[in-house]
Amino acid sequence: MKRLLSSVRDGSGFDIVLVALPLGFLFLMAGLPLLYNILMSFQEVDMFSLGTFLRPFVGFKNYTDLFAQPETWPILGNTAIFVIGSIAGQFLIGFGLALFFWVNFPGASWLRGLFLVSWVMPGLVVGAIWNWILSGDFGVLNFMLRETGIISGNIFWRSDPNYSLYAVIMANIWLGTAFNMILLSVGLASIPGDLYEAAELDGANAWQRFWTITLPMMRSTIGAIVSLGLIFTLQQFDLFAAITSGGPNNSSNVTQYWAWDLSFRQYDFAKGATISVIMIVFVMFASVVYVRSTRHEVRG
Amino acid sequence: MGIRKYTVIGALALAGVSMFGLSARAEDVKLTVWSLDRDIQPAPHLVADFNKLNNGIQIEYRQIQFDDVVSEAMRAYSTGQAPDIIAIDNPEHALFSSRGAFLDLTDMISKSTVIKPENYFPGPLKSVEWDGKYYGVPKATNTIALYYNKDMFKAKGLDPNKPPQTWDELVADARKLTDPAANVYGLAFSAKANEEGTFQFLPWAQMGGGSYENINSEGAVKALTVWKTIMDEKLASPDTLTRGQWDSTGTFNSGNAAMAISGPWELDRMTQEAKFDWGVTLLPVPQEGAERSSAMGDFNWAIFASTKHPEEAFKALEYFASQDDKMFKNYGQLPARSDIAIPETGQALKDAGLKVFLEQLKYAKPRGPHPDWPKISKAIQDAIQAALTGQASPKDALDQAAAKIKAVLG
Repeated sequence: MKRLLSSVRDGSGFDIVLVALPLGFLFLMAGLPLLYNILMSFQEVDMFSLGTFLRPFVGFKNYTDLFAQPETWPILGNTAIFVIGSIAGQFLIGFGLALFFWVNFPGASWLRGLFLVSWVMPGLVVGAIWNWILSGDFGVLNFMLRETGIISGNIFWRSDPNYSLYAVIMANIWLGTAFNMILLSVGLASIPGDLYEAAELDGANAWQRFWTITLPMMRSTIGAIVSLGLIFTLQQFDLFAAITSGGPNNSSNVTQYWAWDLSFRQYDFAKGATISVIMIVFVMFASVVYVRSTRHEVRG
Repeated sequence: MGIRKYTVIGALALAGVSMFGLSARAEDVKLTVWSLDRDIQPAPHLVADFNKLNNGIQIEYRQIQFDDVVSEAMRAYSTGQAPDIIAIDNPEHALFSSRGAFLDLTDMISKSTVIKPENYFPGPLKSVEWDGKYYGVPKATNTIALYYNKDMFKAKGLDPNKPPQTWDELVADARKLTDPAANVYGLAFSAKANEEGTFQFLPWAQMGGGSYENINSEGAVKALTVWKTIMDEKLASPDTLTRGQWDSTGTFNSGNAAMAISGPWELDRMTQEAKFDWGVTLLPVPQEGAERSSAMGDFNWAIFASTKHPEEAFKALEYFASQDDKMFKNYGQLPARSDIAIPETGQALKDAGLKVFLEQLKYAKPRGPHPDWPKISKAIQDAIQAALTGQASPKDALDQAAAKIKAVLG
């Protein structure tokens, strides 16, 4: 008994407690719902059997049914475009801004802080604002494009199937850029200045310094940001609900919105769960990349 | 051992006494009512007035949000926590009655002196029916008709007293009224990919001789073709595809659309906002003399099958129904009753509009009733959107919808 106590206070028992606490918490708050979700995707779920665990098992029927639906592949494609477009946009603009503020002109640090405003705003509010900006007949964006002579007729951002997905991507890039910029700024700040001094003495120009010092030193930060971005964009639901509702004709529908639509608008909980399981696989992948890239993190 | 025995006896005695005490105080039957009505709407007032009667039944009221009605009700029912009475959107009614979640009221209604089926409009009444039995009582009703801007009609040389009566006239008038230079579209309606889109399209399909079981009939294809013409010629804003009825009619009120298809819930706002002379007319039909049809909206009262006080709950419904005559005056909602004459409000435009809506209500048909209505509705929405965005012809789109609906109907 005493040995056990002392081991808990100072020894391997303590380590076990440290590991067990967060593991238990994770299992309760994330593991159980996740397992329940996977279970549902193999069952026939009906809104009146929601309260029970033991529902008829249907094997992979939900999965085969899902992929037999004509809209499934286009929606998966949209999700890929949304994720890649959003991450590319957020990252490139965020990196550009981070480099810009890195120059450290007077007021740079608090200006950089102001950029975070977009990240602080709730998604639904951002969605409502972009809804007005992107509105077809009286939208601000159309007005500006028309006045500057870029377009002659209005573009119906939300209602034209050729544009609707990109309208949401635009809003999402605006929403996520600041977060990327802040994380990248932190990464940039951690690169030791003497590296650049040495390179400059060796005669490396700005471009060479960027390619051979900045980028390699930022590798783990970039890996973390891209995988976090993947998780955040796969979570992005509010903007779809506020701007296009996935329409018209599913042209801007993505898996995360579709899962909600199936579960809570059509009450097809099993299919909603099935899509979620497919998404979990992708997010798991992103998480592995994230964990690996932060593991190598060495801050000088 | 001895002590434990006495403790058990003592506990039992105490329990008996307290049970007696409780039952003596609990002579009032307690009911719970769930509805989405806010404080300016009927339900909370009906409940408060009912409680004042002091007839041995006390009702507790709980407000739920529109989006949560079905999911809350399902969760509550499956865990045995359902309220006694609930107000449910009419297309979802069959979902619950078909599963035996709602109480069969047929016998009680046949004995009732207050709730008589013949006093209700046929559309709302049908929505509470399942398998020939009544599983609820219509709470209120609404439908859609055509609003039009009389000043714009005059300005474009159209007779303001002759609004379009047929689909062809509607399209022809919309062409004349559309004025891109002045930012005016001929028509505002909603083809949004949610229940609103179905609500607006189904009447057109029904007027053309279609129905949800027969959505690819020739008339329904023609209806969707007319919609496509309106969208292709930009007689309505392309945002019609993503905008709900309330926002679409907003553009009518601000003078950016010359006609609008919407319901009586717009009357109050329009009376305040519209700075022009407007009128309401019946929904145009395919050709003169064709069968009329209209969508039917709004909620029904139902009693959950799990209630312990069915008699008392029905008494409450009888009281609610007895107050139907005050519904329009106090809350601006239309009772689902054909035996109640709605008194005039004194506002000429609103009263004229109301008359048209009451006429239109006679042709209102419920959506369904079918327990899988959300899936049927989704198929129709998909067809509308596929056709209007040009990704499928109206015929192909509706054929696809028909196939999907057939799979649901089994």
